[in-house]
Amino acid sequence: MKLYRIAARNIRRNRRRSVLSCTAIAAAVMGIVFFSSYLKGMQSDLEKNIVTYYSGEIRVQHADYERYDYLNPLHLRIEGYRELIREIEAHEAVALLSPRIRFPAAVYRDEETYHAWGVGVDFDREREFQNLDAYLAEGRIPYEGRNEALLGIGLAKEIGVGTGDKITVMTTTMRRGTNAVTFLVTGLVRLPVQQLNGSWILAPVDRVQRFLRMGDSVSEILIKLKDGVSVEETARELEAGLGTEQTRELSIKTWQEENTSYGFIKMAGMVYNFISLFFFVLASSVIVNTTMMVVFERVREIGTIGALGMTRGEIVRLFFLEALYLGVIGSGIGVALGIGITVPLSFTGIDLSSALQGVSFEVSNRLYPSVNPGLTALAFVYSVAVAGLTSLIPSTRAARIEPVEALRSI
Amino acid sequence: MKRLVITALMLIVIPSSVFAVSAEEIIRKLEENTVFETSRVDGDMIIRDRFGTKKSSFISYSRGTDDMLVEFTSVEEEGMKILRTKDELYLFFPEAEETIRMQGAALKESVIGSDMSYEDMTGGKGLLASYNVTLEGTEEVGGYPCYRVGMKAVRRDVPYYSQTMWIDTTLFIYRRVHKFSRSGKLLKNITISEIREVSGRQVPVRMVLEDTVKGNSSTEFIVRGMKIDIPLDPGIFSLEELSW
Repeated sequence: MKLYRIAARNIRRNRRRSVLSCTAIAAAVMGIVFFSSYLKGMQSDLEKNIVTYYSGEIRVQHADYERYDYLNPLHLRIEGYRELIREIEAHEAVALLSPRIRFPAAVYRDEETYHAWGVGVDFDREREFQNLDAYLAEGRIPYEGRNEALLGIGLAKEIGVGTGDKITVMTTTMRRGTNAVTFLVTGLVRLPVQQLNGSWILAPVDRVQRFLRMGDSVSEILIKLKDGVSVEETARELEAGLGTEQTRELSIKTWQEENTSYGFIKMAGMVYNFISLFFFVLASSVIVNTTMMVVFERVREIGTIGALGMTRGEIVRLFFLEALYLGVIGSGIGVALGIGITVPLSFTGIDLSSALQGVSFEVSNRLYPSVNPGLTALAFVYSVAVAGLTSLIPSTRAARIEPVEALRSI
Repeated sequence: MKRLVITALMLIVIPSSVFAVSAEEIIRKLEENTVFETSRVDGDMIIRDRFGTKKSSFISYSRGTDDMLVEFTSVEEEGMKILRTKDELYLFFPEAEETIRMQGAALKESVIGSDMSYEDMTGGKGLLASYNVTLEGTEEVGGYPCYRVGMKAVRRDVPYYSQTMWIDTTLFIYRRVHKFSRSGKLLKNITISEIREVSGRQVPVRMVLEDTVKGNSSTEFIVRGMKIDIPLDPGIFSLEELSW
């Protein structure tokens, strides 16, 4: 009889043992598939949030703004930004633009002070740039030319205001004076990032310009590009193509060049790879343990088949094939289960809001895992290989034992 | 020998005559000179920091030690008012529908980006009610002999734990002030560069304030015009009229 048939029959013959072995492998593989999907989801979410809310794929600022960012240097601004926007929009790679003014703000309400971040935005552009309507929890988007604002739902809750209430915001103006203005809260936004949800006040850019005495200028322009376009190349082209006198005063940087965010993504990638490796090692120990125990408990059986005339090589190959079959079945089930759990969660998401409470992290409150095809395939091949190769160690040792001795063992 | 004896006598007698006045008396005289029944000051603040120089103009009205109203007249801050009544400090801005009461940590914020904080404008209770004062000696500041008076807080609600004042021995106006934290760190440095007579009183008309924590910055206060003990409508120091 052919070895592969004997191996298959052995698996069928002792169902309980086979099921246990397959379950251990399946659980390990499922864990790897789900965890890698979770990490992939987190990484792409982080990337999306940084690009949408913090830096764009390309950010245009005054050349010295980043250096003095901690001092809120609103005077280091982009003057004549409308003309600049027209020039940037003329580039074929550019998809969306968002001119913004960011400023630290203190909100006064019922004699209490709350710290927040004001963002002056062009709401028409922002509706597309950050898909703002999708995050509007209640109320409406503010109108241009009015002292109106949208509040992050977390901040609104902290202050104790809702749609239709008024808040007074005080800040430092461009010339480092002080000014305060009262905004009507026209709506609340449930932004995906907890940090922004608890601090953002979005107001029409024209009112913020007036409030901060900035004239017709903004502090930054965020750019999103069309799919498949090189971010670096576009940034360099924009730098070369824009009015030279103006670009001398501007910094045009890709989001990878922005030290903090890119560094964070890089660091996060390394941490994720390390966690994945740890998970692989953990899964391997489960597979190795199960396979070795299964072979060792069959020393008597090995003695019997040896006494019946099977050579050592055939015995080793038989156990290798058995482990390989169990590995393929277990890993297959594990991959199916992993994908089976991930796919529904990739639509419904995992709620991390309580875990992220008070944490300054650009990841969304609701995380959507995304199946990682590369790591899933690797997990399958890896687990099958580990199961197969692990069987070689005990079966080689067992096959060396004389049949008479093997038959004596319990 | 005769000269030596005279010199020795002078060394003993002169300081003792200088110290004949107590620290409390010096502070009392200082407050008599710097606190007015009523006053109106037209002035400028020149703020210098790493980004350049900015000038803001203001008119301030005061009544005794408790009440003060500062109204900014420069374009950048036009219409902004700061009202101090006893222990309270309020801000009014033309575009804000409510008056902002400054309290707690907010008092540590800078007034229109200057080196002066809102808490520097508080504390109308008088120095002797807030600090234990000791006369530490005499020193010259800018060529003027001054009493060096050390002050240690006796109340917790004062913005500075201790201060050292150099008070002119003849004019009883401070020429320099150092303000310290509890740990002894120098927080503010005030230097008077010009004193002028107004309505028979000596008043500082030019001084430089430095927030040493901020670094790289200074604020110069220049008095362009000053009227003392003039009739003022008491209503201007009320919260109700602040927004008018």
